[in-house]
This record gives sequence, C-alpha cells and structure tokens, in this order.
Amino acid sequence: MLSIKNLQVSVEEKPILKGLNLEVKPGEIHAIMGPNGSGKSTLAHVLSGREGYSVDAGSAHYKGLNLLEMAPEIRAREGMFLAFQYPIEIPGVNNTSFLKKALNEIRKHRGEEELDAIDFLSLIKKQMKLVEMKEELLKRPVNQGFSGGEKKRNEILQMAVLNPTLAILDETDSGLDIDALRIVAGGVNKLRSADNSFVVITHYQRLLDYIIPDFVHVLSDGQIIKSGTKDLALELEERGYDWLIEEAESKD
Amino acid sequence: MAHTTNNFSEWVNLQLDSDSSFAVSEAVRSPSLSKLAGGVFPTRKDEEWRYTPLGDLLDSSPGRDTTVVLDHEYIESLKQAMPSAHTIVFLNGEYSQKYSDSPTALEDSGLNISPLGQLEGTALKLAEDTILNSTLTDDNIFQHIALGLSQNGLFIEVNKNIEGQTPIHVIYISTAHGVTAFTSPVNVIRVSSNSHLKVVEQYASLGEAAVITVPASYVQLEDGAGLDYYKIGIENARTNHICNTSVRVAGSGTFRSHQYLLGSNLTRSNLEVSFTGPGAEAILRGVYLGDENQHLDVRTYLDHAHPHCSSDQHFRGILNGHSRGVFNGLVLVQEHAQKTDAQQSNKNLLLSRDARVDTKPQLEIFADDVKCAHGATVGELDSDALFYLQSRGIDKKDATLMLTRAFAAEVTQEIDIDSLQTYVQDKISASLDEIVIPSV
Ligand SMILES: Nc1ncnc2c1ncn2[C@@H]1O[C@H](COP(=O)(O)OP(=O)(O)O)[C@@H](O)[C@H]1O
Ligand SMILES: [Mg+2]
Repeated sequence: MLSIKNLQVSVEEKPILKGLNLEVKPGEIHAIMGPNGSGKSTLAHVLSGREGYSVDAGSAHYKGLNLLEMAPEIRAREGMFLAFQYPIEIPGVNNTSFLKKALNEIRKHRGEEELDAIDFLSLIKKQMKLVEMKEELLKRPVNQGFSGGEKKRNEILQMAVLNPTLAILDETDSGLDIDALRIVAGGVNKLRSADNSFVVITHYQRLLDYIIPDFVHVLSDGQIIKSGTKDLALELEERGYDWLIEEAESKD
Repeated sequence: MAHTTNNFSEWVNLQLDSDSSFAVSEAVRSPSLSKLAGGVFPTRKDEEWRYTPLGDLLDSSPGRDTTVVLDHEYIESLKQAMPSAHTIVFLNGEYSQKYSDSPTALEDSGLNISPLGQLEGTALKLAEDTILNSTLTDDNIFQHIALGLSQNGLFIEVNKNIEGQTPIHVIYISTAHGVTAFTSPVNVIRVSSNSHLKVVEQYASLGEAAVITVPASYVQLEDGAGLDYYKIGIENARTNHICNTSVRVAGSGTFRSHQYLLGSNLTRSNLEVSFTGPGAEAILRGVYLGDENQHLDVRTYLDHAHPHCSSDQHFRGILNGHSRGVFNGLVLVQEHAQKTDAQQSNKNLLLSRDARVDTKPQLEIFADDVKCAHGATVGELDSDALFYLQSRGIDKKDATLMLTRAFAAEVTQEIDIDSLQTYVQDKISASLDEIVIPSV
C-alpha cells in the first residue's frame, strides 16, 4: 500500500526528515507518535504533495506508484486522503459544493459516473450522522466560522464521503473533548476494512484506546526510533518520550 | 492641465457647431460647450489622471456607423440579466423603440420614464435642475462632453410612496464598423419620498472598430427614498468608457450601488455621493475584472455633509495578464457630520506577475464623534487554500477558478435580484475560465 524508504526532506535548507522508513500493508492501522517538532506533519504534507518541501533522498510509493512525482490532486484521486492538523478556512466556497466537486473528480478518475445533486445529498446526509455534524454546517463556506471540533469533524466527514484507500490523520484528536474523540474514532472504525489503511498521527495515547493500531512508531528528530505494538503507546503514556530518545542516542 | 491638440479634441470642436438635436437644452449645454471649446483634456501629468491611459481615446476621430446589424439573439442574451424588468434599449446613443418595452406598460404605475430628448415642460425642468444641482466639478471635462454632445439619455422619475415597482433595465449598445463609435448618454433618475426603485444600466459594444462611451448620470433621492443602482459593463476590448455619476441622497434615503466592470479596454468610473440630510445611507459595491492590457479604474467620493449618515464601500479587483486596476476612494466627513459611520474596503487579487493595482482609500475627517475605517489589500491566491482543494482531488486550474470566483462572490452574493446575480456570476466565471491558465 505505502512504502517509504530512507525519506529525507528539508524545508528551506533545514533537514526535517532524516531517513524515514515505513511499510503499510492493506488493512493495517499505523500510529505515529512523537514529540512536537519531530516531523510528523512534514511527513503527512510530503505524502500528500504540498509544495515547499525538498525531497533530498529516498522514495515513497503508494500502490506501486511513485508518489513524489504525482500532483496532489492525482494522489487524492488515487485514494489518498489527509485529515489536516489545521484545516483551512475557505471563504466563499460552499462546503457542500466543494465536497461534491471533490467526490465527482475522484469518481471521474475511477471511471465512475458523477453523482447528481440528489444522490450526493443523500450520501452526505448519511455520512453526517456518522460524525454527528450539524446539517447547518453544510451550507457554510468550507470551515469558516467552524469551532475547532467542528473543523475536525468536517475532516472526518470528507474522509467518509471520499472513502479513501489510505487515510493519513494528522493529530485529528488534538483539541477534541472525549465525546468528539469518540465520534472521530467511530468514523475511522466504520471505514476500516481489509482494503483500507490508516496512518494515525497523534500526540496522545488516548485516541488509541478507540482506534486500535496494528503498529505504533515513534518519530523523533526526523527518524522512526522505535516501532512496536499498541503496548508501546501505553508505555509512552507512562514514561514519556525522553527515555526512548536517550536510548536511541546512546545507540548512535 | 496642458493644452494639447489631438484627434479627439479636434473632433469635439467640430461637434460644437452641429445642428443635430441634443439631450439637454441650450441653457444647460452652453457652459459645457464653452469648456469644450477650450479643448483641454487631462494628461498623465495631472495627478488625478496619472494612472489612466487616455491615449487610445484621444487618438480617435469618431464617425457614424451606418451599417448597424443587430440580431435578435444578441439582444435576448443581454436581456437575460433581467428577464422580468421593463427594458429600454439605446442603440448608438438613440432610443430604440423597436427593442424597448412600450412605455404604456408603465401607465398608472407612478413611474415616469422617457428619453431625455423627448421631455418637455415641468419634467424637462426637473431633469435639468437635477443636472445643475450635481456634485460634479466644473473641471470634470468628461461630464462636459456628455452634457455638451449627448443626443439622448433616459429620464426616470418615481412618484411618492411607490414600492415594489418593476425594475428598469437600460441597455446601451454601441456598434462600430469601420469607424469609431461615440455615445454620451445623459441619464437622470429621481426617486420621490418613500419610494423605492431598482435600475440596471448595462453597457455593451459590438464590431471591429473602437468605441467611446462617455455617460453622465444624475441621481436624486428625496427623503426616505431608496434606489438600487446597478451598472454592468461588458463592452468589448476596443471600448473606452469614462463615466460620471453624481448622487444626492436626502435624509433617511438609501442609495445602493453595484458596479461590475467586466469588459472594455479602459473603464474609468467616477461615482460621487453626497448626503443632503441626516440619517441617509449609501452602500457601494463593485468588482473589476481585468486581463491582458485592460485598465479598470474605480473612483468614489462620499460627502458626509450631515450627521447620522452611514456609508459602506466594498470593492474587489481581480487582475490577470498585464491589466491594471485603480481604486481611489475618498470619504469626506464634514465638521458637523457627527455620528457618521463610514466604512471602506478594497481587496485585490493579482493572478499574474505583470498585473498591477494602485489602491488609495482615503478618509478626511473633520468631525470628532464618528466611526470610520478603511482598508486595502493586494494579494495572491492563498496557497494553503489551493493545496487544501487539491488534496481533495480538485486540480489546480479548477481550484484557482473556485477560489477566484469565491473572491468575487463575496461581493456578487449581495446582488439581490436573482437573475442578475446569476448573470454577473456567470459572466465572471466565463471570463475566469478563459484567463485562468494552470500555472504548473
Ligand atoms: N514551512 C516551514 N518552514 C520552516 N520550518 C518548518 C516549516 N514547517 C515545519 N518546519 C519545522 O520542521 C520541524 C517539524 O515540524 P512538523 O512536521 O510540523 O512537526 P510535528 O508535526 O511533528 O510537530 C519543526 O522544527 C518545524 O519548525
Ligand atoms: Mg504537526
């Protein structure tokens, strides 16, 4: 599904990712944890094709395609999805028509028929129940005037509608209360299948009580310094990151 | 201003002795004629005209197009903006009975509509008083061109206490084949106490030759009157359009103006609003959309001469290619105009490296108890928003189009006539579709 080898990325000459390796197979959920500034969002952005990053070495393949050579919209049409850590407000662009356009671009790419307004509306109404989002938010411009929690739910709603093969969730849990967290996790679990994979970036262990990962990786200073099962997350919750970072440094 | 001779001023001089019929009487014309006889046109050395390239206009010697061919479909496409309005068409400056709705449709409606050239008696006097009362200054040479040379125009008068009247759609079409076309319609709109009216002025041009359009419009609102005044410019790329509009709003009156400058080679629109009583309101909106070498120039002047008045201006520019936009807005709050609320905002989106905008919002405040704010921005598309749309499967061209349309929609969504809102938004989308090239 996703194969990242020795990925090295810098921003404005400053190295951020320093040789990152990751293999994600169909149906797997991988959690990536790590202290602030370790490069988690950078990884998510590079994988989804944001400009401004320079890939200095390594490779990233998705379904055998060379990701790093694809335009962001092609990655999305091929089934990748990024839930943004900080969703963008887009004044003047209606939330519903934006999502309908996005879905139909993806369907066109897959050779499927475009959905008309009526079919789309019944789809979106169904998915909104999943994330318990107020219908009124559909009429607003994308993310404008949304609370922090509403923005995160809107990301999950988009994910539910676009139905990606590989979803990367960048700290979707931060800033959410426990109820919202449950709803977001519920959205992910509903979409979970043998064909879909998730990369869940999180700062806290608590999300992983609701989304049970197959693997947990710790990212520190641009490298994965430890991988394990969900027990690793529990250990991190108890002991913090420092012992791991020290352990990794003493190995160098 | 410097004395220069050019083709256009020579042509103007030839018109001064013309014996054709004119829109306004000799008494109103003659001061303008003597101004024009001076032959003085602004140059780039004049501060107010520094940015406005008048070269194409001043080089031309207009003539008369004798081969007017208009097809029915073309007129219908223009009428689409206001399908249920009362339509009046001016063709090359002349009232077109053929394409206009019959005036009898408005009998007993409290609305008096007539080509200016056909006015007589008290109505004529009323129209000319409105013109003479205007705020346009004596050194405004293009107002003198309109008044001195206009062959026709429109007079609209609404009686007292008339609400919900059919909107008026005035379409000005210039056709230019082989020779430059010139028109200078003079319009007078008067709305009496506690009446409301919607007027849409639409300017279009056809043909392979150049077009010059120099309208002057005079608007007067009595106590508690309201006017929604739309100007839609969709002229072709050979058209130079310079217009002046003077509006006087009496106490508790509401003047709402929308201008959409979506065509032409050059447009310069000067809109002056003066409050003549307390509690009046002016809402000015506009979008200018330029490409290639277009020049679009919006000037507003708001005279807060009375207390408790409010004005709210919001103009947006979208500029591509080598086009240039100018926004120059002056709000004057006079000493006794306490409790004035004056807001002015101008936002510009540059879609190319070579596009350019000069924006100058100005406030001159002489009263102390007022709420005034102004601001201007010039920027490019938000790259975060672009990426967000792309990350959902929308390609860069479409994403650019969506964001640019949305930028304009922040203004166009305030058009409260559905057909007109759709028409303007579609025109903007169609132009953007042509000009927005994916910058991969
Ligand atoms: N656009 C940028 N310009 C400069 N530095 C950046 C930029 N984006 C991220 N960084 C730096 O890269 C490092 C990793 O950031 P990020 O990937 O956001 O970390 P995380 O998501 O793990 O908190 C940080 O030191 C951050 O300051
Ligand atoms: Mg981050």
